[in-house]
Amino acid sequence: MDQAIQVMIDSFPKLLAKGLLMTVPMTILSFSLSMVIAVITSLIQYAKVPVLRQIARFYIWLIRGTPLLVQLVIVFYGLPALGIRVSPYWTAIIVFAICEGAYCAETLRGALEAVPYGQTEAGYCVGMNFQQTMWHVVLPQAFKNAFPALSNSLISLVKDTSLAANITVQEMFMTGQRIAGKTYQFLAIYVEVALIYLLFCTVLTWLQKKLEKVLNRYNEKEAR
Amino acid sequence: MAVLEVKDLHKQFGQTEILRGIDLSVNKGDVTSIIGPSGSGKTTFLRCLNFLESADKGTMQFDCMTLDMPAVTKKQILEIHKRTAFVFQNYNLFANKTALQNVTQGLITVRKMKRKDAEEVGMKMLKRVGMDDRASYYPIQLSGGQQQRVAIARALAGDPDIIYFDEPTSALDPELIGEVLKVMQSLASEGLTMLVVTHEMSFARDVSAHTIFMEGGKIVEEGPSKELFAHPSKQRTEEFIRRIEK
Repeated sequence: MDQAIQVMIDSFPKLLAKGLLMTVPMTILSFSLSMVIAVITSLIQYAKVPVLRQIARFYIWLIRGTPLLVQLVIVFYGLPALGIRVSPYWTAIIVFAICEGAYCAETLRGALEAVPYGQTEAGYCVGMNFQQTMWHVVLPQAFKNAFPALSNSLISLVKDTSLAANITVQEMFMTGQRIAGKTYQFLAIYVEVALIYLLFCTVLTWLQKKLEKVLNRYNEKEAR
Repeated sequence: MAVLEVKDLHKQFGQTEILRGIDLSVNKGDVTSIIGPSGSGKTTFLRCLNFLESADKGTMQFDCMTLDMPAVTKKQILEIHKRTAFVFQNYNLFANKTALQNVTQGLITVRKMKRKDAEEVGMKMLKRVGMDDRASYYPIQLSGGQQQRVAIARALAGDPDIIYFDEPTSALDPELIGEVLKVMQSLASEGLTMLVVTHEMSFARDVSAHTIFMEGGKIVEEGPSKELFAHPSKQRTEEFIRRIEK
C-alpha cells in the first residue's frame, strides 16, 4: 500500500506535465478546429445550400456512424498506404476535430433552428445580408442556447484524447501505461490518471458555469 | 410625388390565393393605413412590399428603381432594405443586443458608421421615442410597449424613405397601445412616409391621410381617411367600420 502511494506521488509531476503539455493543447486545438467545422457545416444546412448541404449530411452520417478509434487507426495506419503521412500528434488533432465537428454541427443546427425566424427577418429589414445577420444576431443566440451541449462535447473530448495512445501519441494515458508497466502498480497509476482527467473536467465545468453567466446576461429579467 | 408605386400584385400560398391584384401608390410624406378583417391579406401585402415574402406577380416602382417583383435580385432587395424599414407586430428586437445596440446595429454593419457616431445617432433616435433612459436594457427587460418604441427607433435610424408598420400595436396590452400610437402620431406630424397595417381605427381615421380597406386579397375601397370613415361608398366597408367601431 505504501509503495503504491509512493509510486503515485513520484509519478504525479510526470503525469500532470503530460496532461498539461499534451492533453490540454490537443483538446484546445482540436476543439477550436471542430467549432470552425461545426459552424460552417451547420450554417450550410441551416441555409439549405444545394450540393454543399448533401455533402454536409454525408459527412455527419459517415463520422457519427463510425467509432472514433477506428477513424484514428484508419488515418494513421491506413492512409500511409495511399501515400498520405501525417505525424501521430497531428493525426490525432485532425481526427478529433473532424469527429467532434460532426456532433457539434448537429448541436448547432438545432440551436440555429431554435432562434425565432423573426430575428433573421429583422436583420434583413435593417439592411444586413445573410452573413451579417447570422454573425451578429442569429449565431450568438444559437451559440448561447447550444452552450451546455457544446460543453458536454468539449468535456468528452478531453477524455477521448486518451485514444491517441493507440496511434503512438505519448499523451497522459500512454505515459501512465508505461509507468504502470514498469512499477506493476496498475490500480494506483490508472486511478491517478483518472483523477487528473477528473481534475481537468472539473475546471471545465467551473468555467462552463462562469461563461454561462456571461452568455445569459441578456436573459436576465432584471436590468443591471 | 409617389415614393412607392405597386401594380397588380399577386401572391399565392400553395393553392390559396392571398393577394389578387393590388395596386398601391404612396406619396412622399403621406401616412397610409391599411385596414380590413383578419385573413384579408394585409400583412402578406406589406411583407411582399419588403420582400419578406416573394410575390408571384407585380411590378414595383420605388423612387427611381423599377422592379419586376418575382424576378427581383438579391442586390435589389438589399438596396430596398437599406432604404426602407419594417416594424413588426411582435417587435423582433435582436434579443442579444441592448436597446441602443438594436438601433446602432444597422448603422455600424450596413452603413459603416463609426461606433461612436452610430451611438450618437442611436441615442437621438431613442430620445425621439422616449426610450433614451433605457438604452442599456436588453429587450427582455422591457415591456411590450417599450420594445415596440425601440423597434421604431431602430426603424428610424437608417433614415428610410418609407417605414412599414405591421400591426404595431396588436401584440400589446391595451394600456400600452397609447404610448406606441403617440410615437407614431408624432412621426406622422414630422412628415415621415408611413404605410401602416392596423386595427386601430382611431389611428387610421385621425392620423393617416389615406386609408385602404382590404378584403379577400383585394382593395375594396380607398380614399382620404376622413371621407372613407364618414361616407364609405361600398356597403362592405361600411359594415366593417360599423362593426369594429362599436
